[in-house]
Formats: sequence, structure tokens, C-alpha cells
Amino acid sequence: MMISVRNLDLTINGKTILNDISLDIQPGLWSCLVGPNGAGKTTFLKVLLGSARYSGSVKSDGVEVFRNHKRNVAFVPQQPQIPQGISVSEYVALGRSKRDGWGNESSQSREFIAKVLEQTNLYGMQRQQISQLSGGEMQRTLIARALAQEPDLILLDEPTSALDLHHQIEVLNNLQFLQKQGVTIISTMHDITLAAMYADRIIVMQEGRVLADGASSEIIHSPELRTAFDNRINVYTLDSGRPVVIARKDEKDER
Amino acid sequence: MKGEKRESSARIQGISPIWNWRTTFICAALLLLVGLLAISFGPIHLRFGEIIKTLLGMDGGLSGQDRTVLIDLRLPRALLAALVGAALATSGAVYQSVFRNPLADPYLLGAASGAGLGATIAITNAHGDVYSLLPIFSFIGGTLAVLTSFFISGKFFAEPQSLLLSGIAVGSFATAIQTYLQQRHSSSLRPVYSWILGELTVANWQIVTWSSIYILISLGVLISISKQLDGLMLSDEESFSLGINPNRLRMIAVAAATLATATAVSASGLIGFVGIVVPHLVRGITHRVTNRNLLTVALAGAAFLVLADLGARTLLSPAELPIGVITAFVGAPFFLVVLRRRRTL
Repeated sequence: MMISVRNLDLTINGKTILNDISLDIQPGLWSCLVGPNGAGKTTFLKVLLGSARYSGSVKSDGVEVFRNHKRNVAFVPQQPQIPQGISVSEYVALGRSKRDGWGNESSQSREFIAKVLEQTNLYGMQRQQISQLSGGEMQRTLIARALAQEPDLILLDEPTSALDLHHQIEVLNNLQFLQKQGVTIISTMHDITLAAMYADRIIVMQEGRVLADGASSEIIHSPELRTAFDNRINVYTLDSGRPVVIARKDEKDER
Repeated sequence: MKGEKRESSARIQGISPIWNWRTTFICAALLLLVGLLAISFGPIHLRFGEIIKTLLGMDGGLSGQDRTVLIDLRLPRALLAALVGAALATSGAVYQSVFRNPLADPYLLGAASGAGLGATIAITNAHGDVYSLLPIFSFIGGTLAVLTSFFISGKFFAEPQSLLLSGIAVGSFATAIQTYLQQRHSSSLRPVYSWILGELTVANWQIVTWSSIYILISLGVLISISKQLDGLMLSDEESFSLGINPNRLRMIAVAAATLATATAVSASGLIGFVGIVVPHLVRGITHRVTNRNLLTVALAGAAFLVLADLGARTLLSPAELPIGVITAFVGAPFFLVVLRRRRTL
């Protein structure tokens, strides 16, 4: 599923959120949107989902995304709605609705849900109330719901921001496993080091524009990445060759 | 092969909800039973066998005064109670999921206060028989109040909570005018008051017929979209990704639930508690939050109100208790027990 974005603009109440974006997203790759808060990353994800109004053109397989109802795209929000009184398996089962029709889970679907729960390390917790889960379990449940959809494309808004280091890796490994099965992944991520570790491609955004776009290994050393963060980051390379990005503390901050 | 199959069925244990037909069936049976009781008991006791024969048009049925009591008094009243109960319970369940608020009730968007104002205007300005005009006035009042809430909030598409707030504001405004009118015309205080507490004494075939049209249509709509309403438990983007247009779905759901509520209020006054208690009761019994059991909720609401009306008619006979008193009196403790057992809403 090839996505091509041409001259994408989006304004809300006179404020420009996305400004003249043009790019292509190849199927099967993991692209990561990186940039400071307010850069328009989440809005761009919503445009790619097809739920936001925009001007310009965003085509998936040649059809504008908001009109293409055949696509199977999953979305994992940063701040989830956590419904009360619903169990993990019921929540994950909601992801099957597009395939089976609402409220008609087939027995194959129930098998598939069991598989997804095993894959995300949630099997055995299916009867537990979702509102009583820990942050890490919650995030895995959100992703399990998206996986239950068997999507061709999965959009994730800061999938790791609520997690400790160990669980961050766990969630990202899950996504990498999915990517190996041919699913296209587009995520936003604040941790640029992790983004460079997992994503094939990094798209740097600032104030609604794309500043830089290319292979992760190149973008991470680019001056545009520093510009996007007001030159307040340092990029080091470890002995293993892996790049590490950390925030810089200026002298003037100490006063 | 066989072992594999057994293993897989063990694996999917506790996974994925199934439609709970059993509860639906029990509620339907309960409604029938309660309905039969309701038309049988009263100052004149009618026998089950004769009632059934009369209803089926067989020989040996009731005749004379007994027949009139059954056909013209008790039957329309029980039917109206069932319709109103089903309408309030279902709208309550739908409002709760649309606004993602377990405390939402059918009167939330000002339908009740608007209808109350309409009824008060009718009662305080009427000459002669007001009761035939009451339903029309309160229906207009209720619908106008909800439309005003929609109009003021404007941001419904961005934020369902703002609709909720404007509903509360419109509701208080309507109540204020109503209280003012009530004080100005203190002679009509009593009929207004008894209408506010809810009553089904005015039930006749005419009211049953027109309210059944609106209520059955809106319940049909709500039950047909009930499975998709589950999608509103997710964030808007997630439900969109599952093929739902969340704003359109909310619009349809709120419109249908409001029509049902306004009709119920105009036919019977304000009957509290049904819209909150019955949905949670069904959820508590089925251990399930989803809207798939909306039909069960409707049947349970109908049975609950028919039973409550039976109590209202017979407990202090020949005097009548307002049915709203019964629903709260029975509903509240029962609700608390379920709540305590479940510990979550």
C-alpha cells in the first residue's frame, strides 16, 4: 500500500498546522515522525488515517484516504479512552469488528485474539478489567487491539511515551515483528535514539513543515534535526556505531 | 487432531463476548409475566384464564364491566408503562455510552425540563380539559429544549462534553421559568406537581397508539446501531479506523434517544431512575458493558416500569402513589446492592 502525499495543507481556526508537505511512504517500511511538541506530528497521523480534513492530496493506492474505505489501517492513540467495566479480551475483540461485522466475532477471530494476546504477553489476563491494568499492560492492550485488526498499515502516536525502558523495547520489538510480516508502520516518537534504532526512515517536522526526510542513519546526523530542536540536542556515536541523541543543557540554563 | 481441537477451545476460554440470549429471553418472559399480573390485579380482580381468553378472542372471556376495565383501563396502562419503561431504559443506556458517562440519564439534554415547562404552560393557561393537550405541549417543550442545547453547544462534533454542559444550562433555565410560572399560578400547583412526579393515570388507547409509533421507531433505530455503539468506547480515531463515523453515529443515537425520551415524558410525566438503574442492572447481571444487550435493557426497562406501576396502583389503593416514588424507592436500594457486588460501574 503506497501512500503519496502532495502539497498537504491543514489549517484549524486560521492556524496553520501542516504546511505544504509532499512525500511518499513505501509499503513495508517503518517511518518515524520526529520533532518538537506542536510540530504537527499527531495531526499528520490523523490525516494519514483519513479522519482529518485537509487540502492537497493524500492518496493511498491512488485513492484519497478519506474516501478509501477499503483500507485496513489501525490507529494507536497517545492518550487512550479507557472504558470502564470492560475486560481485556472484550477490548481487543473490538479490533475484529471491521472484519467480522460489529458484534459477530467468528470462532476464528477468537483464535486470532488468543494469538494476539500471546504475542503481546497478555494471555492469561483476558478476563481482567482494562481499567485496572498498569501503564505497560495498558499500552500493550492498545497495541493488541490494533493487531487484532490485522492491518496493512498501523499508525502509532507516541507508543512508548508512558513506558519504562524495558517495556519500551518490548513494545517496539512487537512492532518490528509485525513489520517483518509486511505491515507498514508509521509512528511518532520523542525518543530519537529509539527511533533511529527501529525505524527505517525518519521524517523531521517543525511547525507543520518537513525539515528533513531520509534513512534513519543519515537523518540522525543531519543539521536539520538539530535545527528542529533549536540546537539543543547532542548526537554521539557509541563504539558499536549506534547513534545516541541526548538533550543538551546550556550554560545559560544554570543561572 | 482431536487433542489439538480441545487445546484450541481451552485457549479461547474467556475470550470474546457472546450475545447473551439467555438474559434477553428471561427478561422477555419476565415482561410477559409482570404484564399479566398488572392487568389482573386491582380493585376488581380479573382471572388469568379469562384475561387470556378475552385477549385471544376465545369463548368464555370477560364481559360487561370487567371487559371494559381490562380493555379500556388496564391494558392501555400496562402497555404505556412498558413503552415508557423501554424508552427510558434504552435511551439511558445509549446516553451513557455516547457521553462515556455512567451517570448520564435520558433527561440530560434538557428533554425533561423542557417537557416540564411545556406541561406547566399548558396546565397554568388551560381552560377545561388540559390532559389531552399535555402530551403535545410537553413533547414540543422537550424537543425544543434539546434542539436549543444542540444549537448552543455548536461544538458537539469536537467535544461531546460541551453538549452535556449546554444541556444542563438549558435544563436549569427551563426549570427556572417553570418554577416562576408555578408560583404565579399557585392554584395549579398540585396538577403540575403530580405531573412532575410522573403518572400513568391518563393512559388511553389514543396515547398508547401515538407514543408507540415514536418509541418503537426510535428503539428500532437504537437497537439496529447498538453493536456499533460499542465502537464509541474507543477514541474517535480508533473507531474511525474500524469503519465507524463517530460523529454521525453519535448524532443518530442522540436523536433517536431524545425522540424516545420526549415521547415518554410527554405520555407519562417525569419518571426518574429508570434510565440509570435499569441499564446498570442489566450490565451488572450480564457482567458486560457493551451495548449488544440493548434489547435486553429495553425489555428489562419495560418489565421494571410495569411492575412499578402495579405497585403505584395497588400499594395505597384506592389512592395512587406517583410512579416516580416507586421507581426510586425500589430502584435505589436494588441498584446499590448490584453496585456493591460489582464494585465498578
